[in-house]
Amino acid sequence: MKNTSRLSHLYRLGALFLVFIIGFLVIKQLTTPSSWNYEVWYRGASLIENANKPLLHGGNDSCKTCHEDVVKEVKKLKHKRLSCEGCHGPLAIHVRGDEKIADAKVINQSRWQCLNCHEELISKPKGFPQFTSEVEKHTTIEEGETCLKCHDAHDPTP
Amino acid sequence: MKKTNSDSSPLGSKSRRVFLKQIVSGTATTLMIYASGARGGHKIARMWKQKSTKHHWAYIIDVGKCIGWGGCVRACRQENDVPEGVTRTWVERYVVTEDGVYVDSPKGGAEGFEPLSEDLKEKAIKSFFVPKMCNHCENPPCVQVCPVGATYKSPEGFVLVDNDYCLGCAYCVQACPYGARFINPEKHVSDKCTWCHHRVKNGRQPACVEACPTSARIFGDLKDPESEVSHILQEGIWTVLRPSMHTGPSCFYIGLPREVI
Repeated sequence: MKNTSRLSHLYRLGALFLVFIIGFLVIKQLTTPSSWNYEVWYRGASLIENANKPLLHGGNDSCKTCHEDVVKEVKKLKHKRLSCEGCHGPLAIHVRGDEKIADAKVINQSRWQCLNCHEELISKPKGFPQFTSEVEKHTTIEEGETCLKCHDAHDPTP
Repeated sequence: MKKTNSDSSPLGSKSRRVFLKQIVSGTATTLMIYASGARGGHKIARMWKQKSTKHHWAYIIDVGKCIGWGGCVRACRQENDVPEGVTRTWVERYVVTEDGVYVDSPKGGAEGFEPLSEDLKEKAIKSFFVPKMCNHCENPPCVQVCPVGATYKSPEGFVLVDNDYCLGCAYCVQACPYGARFINPEKHVSDKCTWCHHRVKNGRQPACVEACPTSARIFGDLKDPESEVSHILQEGIWTVLRPSMHTGPSCFYIGLPREVI
């Protein structure tokens, strides 16, 4: 006669459960990143990864590094509140490290560049200077003529 | 007599005692679960209000100043490498007429807006531009639905995406009441405005804020009582988008007309 308990099948089942639970805990431990934030439930390292993305726009102050005279001059003019990079493109495309890698000249000097802001639209705030054909000189604009023929891009006094 | 009573009544003295016991223990258990749950909830709420962090960022949009040039959208696209066809921030043009409200946002407003048709122009009662983006809610529905913890509210108030953990299931895209999320067609993960987290962490302003020529977009720290956002929120009249959703947006609008949804 075999000397096995009547509950041996339950012990086997219990052992199986134990193995499963231990296996689960081991896998969980191995696959959970060490930086996991259990309070807010996210991978802490992702916060650092997000913060370490490269900056493309340097802001107007970054232009001062090489073009201090121009930045100073523009600050006195009508377009002083504009972002240089809005027309000239982001800093990272123009400079890498301390080296100039590409020209920051405004390639698209068409009328769109000006009308992008100054086109007459009823949705714009009242008082914002908008292109109007009521100005006499505006009625004689020929095809292909740019605004820069009469206006200065940095100081577009009417 | 007693025995007879107990037999005849479905609620005998014994079963009544058991019943009352169960009621008492059930109530106690419910109260305990409720109390522990409420404590947990309070903890999360406190954390999201950033009581202990150095900064509490906020974004203000002044609708009356927006000229709809779309430079903010272009700056965002370049700064964050946003592919064609999707956008992290966009500008909507509202035209209110007696027949209804017309809204358009061609390419998210990235190339500005064409003049209205003569017909619409005549019918228009009022018209204005509304810049929109992720509201970085205090209680973000997109974070609640993420099954893998790939999107989260950072301690300083940024709602961010973990590109390595995102499955691209798009639950968050559906959950966002502001339509601010999308699946990046190149990376195949959820994408959204980060308030230029990488720029702010480096002491700069978000790209859209720096690009705005009329100061329609303002970004700042509510922990600094002298910051522009602090002054505006303390003294100005502001609102948020869809307050009834109880998401607690951190983007505040000044001069938002009632037609905007």
